[in-house]
Amino acid sequence: MSRIIRDIPDTSSYWAAVWAICPMPDVHVICDAPIGCFNLVATAVPDYTDAVPHIENITPSVITEAEVGGSGTAEAVKRTYEGLRDEGLLAGKHLIVISTAESEMIGSDLSDLVTRLQPGTTFYHSESLTEDEWAGRDRVLQWLWDNYGAAAASDVEVEPGLVNIIGPTYGCFNSTSDLHEVRRLIEGAGGRVNVIFPMQTRLSDIAQLAKAQINVVLYKEFGHTLADSLGQPWLHAPMGMRQTNAFVRQLGEWLGTSEQAAAFIKHEKATTLQAVWDLWRGPQSDWFPTTTIGFVATRTYVEGLTAYLGEELGMPITLSVARPRRPDDLDNDALRKQLHDRPPTFVFGSINEKIYLAEGGARMTNFIPASFPGPIVRRSVGTPFMGYRGTVYIVQEIVNRLYEALFTFLPLDTAYQKAPAGFGPPAANGQKTTGPAPGNLPWQAEAKAMLDDALEKMPFLARISASRELQMKVEGAAQQRGLKEVTAELAAEILAAPSK
Amino acid sequence: MSSDATPPETPGPEATGKPCRLHPQSMCPAFGSLRILTRIEGAHPVMATDTGCLYGLTFVTHFYGARKSILAAHLGTEELMAGQVVENTRAAIEVAAKEPGCKLIPVVSLCVAETAGLPEEMLPKQIGEAEVVLVRVPAYAIHSHPEAKDVALAALLRRLGETDGPRDAKTVALLGEVFPADPLVIDGVLRQMGVTGTIALPGRSLDDLRRVGRVGAVAPLHPFYKETVSLFRSWSIPVVGGAPVGASGSYAWLKAIGTLLELDPALVTQVAEAERERAQALLNAQPLSGRILVTGYEGSEVAYARLLVEAGAEVPYVSTSIGADPLTIPDEMWLKARGTKEVVYRKTLEDDVAALDAYAPDLVLGTTPFASIAKERGIPALYFTNQLASRPFFLSAGMGATLGFIQQMLARDASYQWMHEFFTLESAQ
Repeated sequence: MSRIIRDIPDTSSYWAAVWAICPMPDVHVICDAPIGCFNLVATAVPDYTDAVPHIENITPSVITEAEVGGSGTAEAVKRTYEGLRDEGLLAGKHLIVISTAESEMIGSDLSDLVTRLQPGTTFYHSESLTEDEWAGRDRVLQWLWDNYGAAAASDVEVEPGLVNIIGPTYGCFNSTSDLHEVRRLIEGAGGRVNVIFPMQTRLSDIAQLAKAQINVVLYKEFGHTLADSLGQPWLHAPMGMRQTNAFVRQLGEWLGTSEQAAAFIKHEKATTLQAVWDLWRGPQSDWFPTTTIGFVATRTYVEGLTAYLGEELGMPITLSVARPRRPDDLDNDALRKQLHDRPPTFVFGSINEKIYLAEGGARMTNFIPASFPGPIVRRSVGTPFMGYRGTVYIVQEIVNRLYEALFTFLPLDTAYQKAPAGFGPPAANGQKTTGPAPGNLPWQAEAKAMLDDALEKMPFLARISASRELQMKVEGAAQQRGLKEVTAELAAEILAAPSK
Repeated sequence: MSSDATPPETPGPEATGKPCRLHPQSMCPAFGSLRILTRIEGAHPVMATDTGCLYGLTFVTHFYGARKSILAAHLGTEELMAGQVVENTRAAIEVAAKEPGCKLIPVVSLCVAETAGLPEEMLPKQIGEAEVVLVRVPAYAIHSHPEAKDVALAALLRRLGETDGPRDAKTVALLGEVFPADPLVIDGVLRQMGVTGTIALPGRSLDDLRRVGRVGAVAPLHPFYKETVSLFRSWSIPVVGGAPVGASGSYAWLKAIGTLLELDPALVTQVAEAERERAQALLNAQPLSGRILVTGYEGSEVAYARLLVEAGAEVPYVSTSIGADPLTIPDEMWLKARGTKEVVYRKTLEDDVAALDAYAPDLVLGTTPFASIAKERGIPALYFTNQLASRPFFLSAGMGATLGFIQQMLARDASYQWMHEFFTLESAQ
């Protein structure tokens, strides 16, 4: 059976390897890559996923036609190594050579070559033609432990009270905020953070992972294999209030700090979480049962948002697709069709979903960035999805966007749009703006059914205002054409026109 | 394998004159082709490549190219082993053909598919109403993204360009992705000389690709359209050298078009002189003073350097991602006659950093890695691609926007210096 991809949501294990290894400052990576695989992974994309100008500790072997044509990449990698060495760029650095899809394609195995480079140089076969970024991250973290941690760790004693955080790497959506919040929860429960791996670790310190009593794995997509190898109790980072309570209590139990953990939960309820309680008691939560939501994100986020927004706040979930995709999840063709035909009021997703919403003219739907791919800056610590602060941030985001939607559909005198430049926004290009029709025109039954159908596809909150707007739009067109009633043909034509 | 906690000692840098060229600078070459192809109305590209490549290229295309869904053949180990490159690509083509309004399916073949082999004769030429055009842009062979624009455009024109029928002798094709207002302005000035119409490529219209085969002359505004230009030559359509940049460049370019199209010489001279006067007046009105490094990877750097030099700036160093070509020689010669010491093709980050060390510039127009290095040193710097390639530039009407912007940047030294001190000196507060 032939397989095709629409708008790929996950990158490859080569990217996973670079994005997991390069955060460690005492490493230099040679990627066995053509210029493109170097540029995209080290500059063009992390500019817009992680807001870093470029990843500095990586150099390409620059595969060209000669290497593809039969000479292989060993010489190019050796030449690159010598250049780095001669420039002093390897001083104090461990060297790791990583394969790419193209080097794997031409069968370039450099495990022998690396023994002839700087002592201790290793070759990481990234399996880029087979694995996705999630499996790739899981495997490379384990590989780093096996090769740079395990042996030295036999001398390391477990120190009670210490907790590791496994994940994030580059390219993990919103990791700055989530990491910050999870760290706060661990400390609130009575733990002390030991190693944050790999984002804030040195390769030389990997053995220190063995010192922690407990491991917290930030994401469900990767890190669990390493957590199992470390042999200490571990748990996933939490989302929503109930999971976070359980997380803090469990940590307290394992750490022997149950009282502190309970006091922390009590204090959070009286401070951070008061916002959720106030919004729940206020008029805002009344919208939740009729405001539909959809998720397209990592399984960590989809399951976390489902627990919080679905179960705790009672919002109806009409779309749910997790990455990496399992066979029973919608594929992007089906997902795209649903977003064209019947988008929920809120879509948490990636740029792919944003494009599908734009294609379908879904201007009533609010898009909330929640996943890569897509350019976004998330370097503030104030936008967590995880933990207690995450519950506040997410509900605040939703309510503010509901306010925004209301504002957008409140009536605005059309005269402002006709005013000369300098006063109000200019009229839409080439479109004659029409004021309200004087008195309603009669609608043919079929035309009215079409209007109802169009409204049915809109989010509930916007329907009142939108119904007036669509009605005016169709009737305005009818009057321009001198019709005495709204015909089915006209309604079909005007309602099918893309919204601005 | 090493579990040694301390990294080994490494010899320090050796005293060499030339920098070691380790980090070549270009977007993934294939991006240039995707940018052009996704922007064409009715075009639905199908990519043949591995998943990492696909992710990265889709990412940058959705950032810079178009809000367009992108299809691909799945090419993993399994498919490559089973020899399903063609089969999966054909399947993706069939899905693309069902997109509303699909008229063109460019099949973009990248490193892995090119290495595995994707024979053109195994793909359909047409499906439904859509033309299927194979565009081969493996990064290992193309080297820079501007040159991939050329490869893509040439592939489209070879298929679509209509050369039968009478020539529109007094029309000109303009080649180059430029600010949208630029071709309108160029068109306006050319019509004053007696040109009856222009076609700007690459653009959004498929019809333009068809009818461009009958123009009277082709004018590459950027110097990397070598394959496209030779295609026009094969159609016996003459090529205008240079580009309408600055006072002297615009004058020479307008005169060259007049000669090629056999327009009324007196009228051409009158229009060209008037344009030169307007340009010169602008140059005189906002002269630049300062030393600027022009080091992007868009392939148009030499022309920008030329305008800046005419406006009074000192540009000792220009670098670009494209290779040297006869099309780049005139501007290079012009610059070298006016004080530019180095013009580097297929540049690396190391070349640019060496220039930063050597020339102590007041402003850097560079790639993101290089601009960030300049900013770390407190030197005003910009990402050439985002800031320069996206402003009006050509003829007197375009140059004002570019020069005004550069002037503004040259005056922003203080904030770059403050940031540099605050973030790099421990004592600064």
